[in-house]
Amino acid sequence: MNDGRSGWRTCGWVSDLTSVWQDTTLIVLTAQIAAIYAAILIPFKVGIPIIPGFVELRPANAIPLVASLLFGPAAAWGAGIGNLIGDCFGTLGPASLFGFLGNFFLGWVPYLMWGNLGPLSSGKPPYWQSWTQGFELTTISVVSSAVCAVTIAWGVELLGLLPFMVLAPAIFLNNVVMGLLLGPPLLAFLYPRVKRWGLYYRDLSDARIQREASPVVQVDSELLAKSRRKAIRDEFMVKLEDVTFRYRSADSPALHRLSLQIRAGEWIVIMGPRDSGKSTLCHCLNGLIPRFAPGVFSGVLSVGEQWDGVPRQSESVGLVFQDFDTQLIATNVEQEITHPLEYLDPPLSSEEVRRRRESVLHQVGLEGLASRDPLTLSGGQRQRLVLASVLVCQPRLLVLDQPMTDLDPDARLSLQNLCVTLRQQGMTIILVEHEPSEVLLADRLYVLDHGEICWEGTPQALFQSPGLPKQFGLASSLLADCFVDLGLSTLPITVEEAWRVTDERGIVLDPGNDMAIRENGMAEEGGQCNGSCSSIQFQSVSFEYVSGVPVLKDVSLSIAQGEFVAVLGKNGSGKSTLGKLVSGLLLPSDGSVLVRDQNTTVTPMTELSRMVGYVFQNPDHQIFAETVWDEVGFGIQNLGVPDDECEQRIVESLRSVGLDVGRYRFEDPFSLTKGERQRVAVASILATKPDILIFDEPTTGLDARETDRMMTMICDLHRQGHTIVMITHTIHLVAEYAARCVLMHDGTVLADAFTRVIFSDPALMRAAALNVPDLTRFSQRWGHTLLTVNEVKAALRLP
Amino acid sequence: MTISLYLDHDTWMHRLDARTKILSVLALCILALLYSHPFYLAAVWGLVFLGVVSAKALANMKKISILLVLLFLYSAILWPFFVEGHTHIFQWGSILITSEGLTFGLGMGLRLNVMVMSGILLLSTTRLEDFARSLQRFGIPPSMGFAVTLAFRWVPTLLGSISMIVQAQRSRGLDLSVGSFVDKIRGYAPLVVPLIGHTIRQTMLLAMALESKGFRPSRRRHSYSQSHMTGLDYGVLFVAVVCVGVSWRLRVMGYGV
Repeated sequence: MNDGRSGWRTCGWVSDLTSVWQDTTLIVLTAQIAAIYAAILIPFKVGIPIIPGFVELRPANAIPLVASLLFGPAAAWGAGIGNLIGDCFGTLGPASLFGFLGNFFLGWVPYLMWGNLGPLSSGKPPYWQSWTQGFELTTISVVSSAVCAVTIAWGVELLGLLPFMVLAPAIFLNNVVMGLLLGPPLLAFLYPRVKRWGLYYRDLSDARIQREASPVVQVDSELLAKSRRKAIRDEFMVKLEDVTFRYRSADSPALHRLSLQIRAGEWIVIMGPRDSGKSTLCHCLNGLIPRFAPGVFSGVLSVGEQWDGVPRQSESVGLVFQDFDTQLIATNVEQEITHPLEYLDPPLSSEEVRRRRESVLHQVGLEGLASRDPLTLSGGQRQRLVLASVLVCQPRLLVLDQPMTDLDPDARLSLQNLCVTLRQQGMTIILVEHEPSEVLLADRLYVLDHGEICWEGTPQALFQSPGLPKQFGLASSLLADCFVDLGLSTLPITVEEAWRVTDERGIVLDPGNDMAIRENGMAEEGGQCNGSCSSIQFQSVSFEYVSGVPVLKDVSLSIAQGEFVAVLGKNGSGKSTLGKLVSGLLLPSDGSVLVRDQNTTVTPMTELSRMVGYVFQNPDHQIFAETVWDEVGFGIQNLGVPDDECEQRIVESLRSVGLDVGRYRFEDPFSLTKGERQRVAVASILATKPDILIFDEPTTGLDARETDRMMTMICDLHRQGHTIVMITHTIHLVAEYAARCVLMHDGTVLADAFTRVIFSDPALMRAAALNVPDLTRFSQRWGHTLLTVNEVKAALRLP
Repeated sequence: MTISLYLDHDTWMHRLDARTKILSVLALCILALLYSHPFYLAAVWGLVFLGVVSAKALANMKKISILLVLLFLYSAILWPFFVEGHTHIFQWGSILITSEGLTFGLGMGLRLNVMVMSGILLLSTTRLEDFARSLQRFGIPPSMGFAVTLAFRWVPTLLGSISMIVQAQRSRGLDLSVGSFVDKIRGYAPLVVPLIGHTIRQTMLLAMALESKGFRPSRRRHSYSQSHMTGLDYGVLFVAVVCVGVSWRLRVMGYGV
């Protein structure tokens, strides 16, 4: 039950409502509810102008009821603020005050009433599982809708804007219908998940009370004193001794007796497979753990001059998250950078603020963009902005948690250069990363597994050692893999090192006749299309989201049945738009797209979804069902496939993506890992049996093992006869798997040929702001363009 | 995608302190509330329109022009059915339309327009952060002002997510244009569940991100904003007070009703 914790005591109401503004998590929840409410309201506002609640039935009206039963008072504030934000798109005025109040009540009354209706209360959790719960939900929905409708309509008539008798019934009807039809399924889906994530209001307030009552940090004072003396003597910036942290809900600790020391000015890299404790360690360093994550912390962790052994929020630690967009909070670049300085005590002089702001903008290369909205910047620029907003506080330790994940090659390079500059300026850097090529400039590398350090040394030592990275589940250097059979004790990891090894040992690269034919593009698998067998055809296609700003310009291409084509290009080059045009999700502004000779403009979506399956980059944008089984079956049920065939197709699809039917059938897809969720998303597409599969950045955010598994699965699907279109900016995957490559740049097709032909022209790749993979560059010294480890291995000729 | 209505120009209205703008917009709304006669309200409408032109905010007004026309029509058409009067124009059964009702409807349509346009004027010339800070100076708790800015900041991101979710479910055959009324409403669940699930799942991460940038609910926040009240602000406020005073007097004398 909810648990309107304050029951009918009015003094409890006030403390419940004000407590929201004293807790960061509740403030975030409030803002999220407001943003969700506004985001669902706005599309209905823009098209159909309305006085609050008037004329149109809007799905958003179920949100305050649902949020109220899950998040208590945060929903009341969130609904009020969300409605106010919605008003800012056209109807802001004195009536907005009554809109705020009405929606506040709509988000407040359900929380107060659930569990507090005496004999009418079900005494059960707030969703419709039994008739008593249904009755309680109906009563609450009717009462809260009435309170909301009367408040708004009374206020609007008071202002003389519209008659009460017109507005009140419209709002009431709208709220009740949406609350009763959409509320129950939403609660059934969301309640168990919100409970599991520890965000149910009662659980949140219990956790806060528990945190305040009993400390979760155990400090060994003897160990601390010894550690402090040694750390000061040795000038350590970071010192961890026997640090263990276990999340409350976990069976095993995320960090286990972890000890490491980092000197001031060092650049450290942390690597490890998924769930090895990397992010937990980052969050411990500036005290976000254990403050935010309920659990038990023990050991000594000290940063900079802070030597009390407890992880503390510290201005001396700057942290850039993997999902850096979460750290953007202002509406222009200048405000974003100034914001962290507003919390400094004592405050800085205006002159110092200006000086620091200009200095960091210069440092990260964002001069001249001070008045831009962060959302209008590219991914790389947004990340550098977050970095600037961290650097402006002049931290002594910079922690970067997987910063390269969403960046294209140019943005990666500029971030790497920035790290080099910062180290030269004396900054201590901790970088968490997956890609071997991004970490070679660092001083030291730690491999983390199951919360423990299992290897320590230089990045070179790790990647030059045969077999070592694989042993820890890490990606290895592909160049090193080529030399692994030669019995070298130290493998080359850069192209220059590889050339040196070949020179010293008199090795030459000679692919032989068979490979020579392949290099001429004569015998690549799949072959290129000749039009008659085309599965997909673009005929002079242009597309624009906003009139006058073309995203695709006059694109013509043809993809044959059974081909494996990679669409390659930097972020914003038009790759995803191309994919969505194939699937009919977008329709061309000019020209036509034919899928198996059917024009997407006139073919119904249900028809197209039988031919084309689009696997989105983020599986969370589609997952909603309670079980994996239902999630996979959603698409085919929409297509009206009979039940017995549905069952068969679900089983086949789950098998195709390597998920065991028995084990996963009743799993909640939200509880799976990102790699598993991605597989569920693919299975749900496969169930509709499309010939053509489009994968949009299928490996983003996956670790080395998950990437391997994903690519093996895509190759299996290709072998089964599917046409594969893979959109990516990960160049080595294209080299390894795709016979043909479409190189996109600035909305145009820069080149469309066999991957080998495109990769043989480094200048062409540069024109698309990409580089050829190291492996290929290595082979080009001998005039060949080799793409995979196996090809290079086979071509190495010993003297 | 950006959704803010703020227009980055350098007009006298942009240079005003946000507090002055909020109070002036309030004054405009009071003017609109004092009168109910369309002639007087047309004069107030003209005043707001001049403001919109001089703030170079016509682009935003054009964006919502359909909304303004429809709001005017709703009001002008609906009110005559609810206002009684002596001058009968049309009667059908118990439905009576009078000249007084029509005049009142026209006036209320203009009043709605004045209020919406004043809001647009404020939003076009005031940065969100300045707006939130002013609310704080008027006594709203800082955390609440901050939550408003955060929510504003996240709306475009969520609109992007909604568009992705709609595409993802459409590509799996979800079609909200078919089925019964109840089916259509229930069809929203596959759209709303991923949106809420995906967003709420990030709550802890977002809270950590905020605190990693120095935010604490209890911590005092110092503003480095250069904005402060100038002579122009005091001048505008003086004019606003005079306008409200004079209008009040006119209203008491029976004008504009």
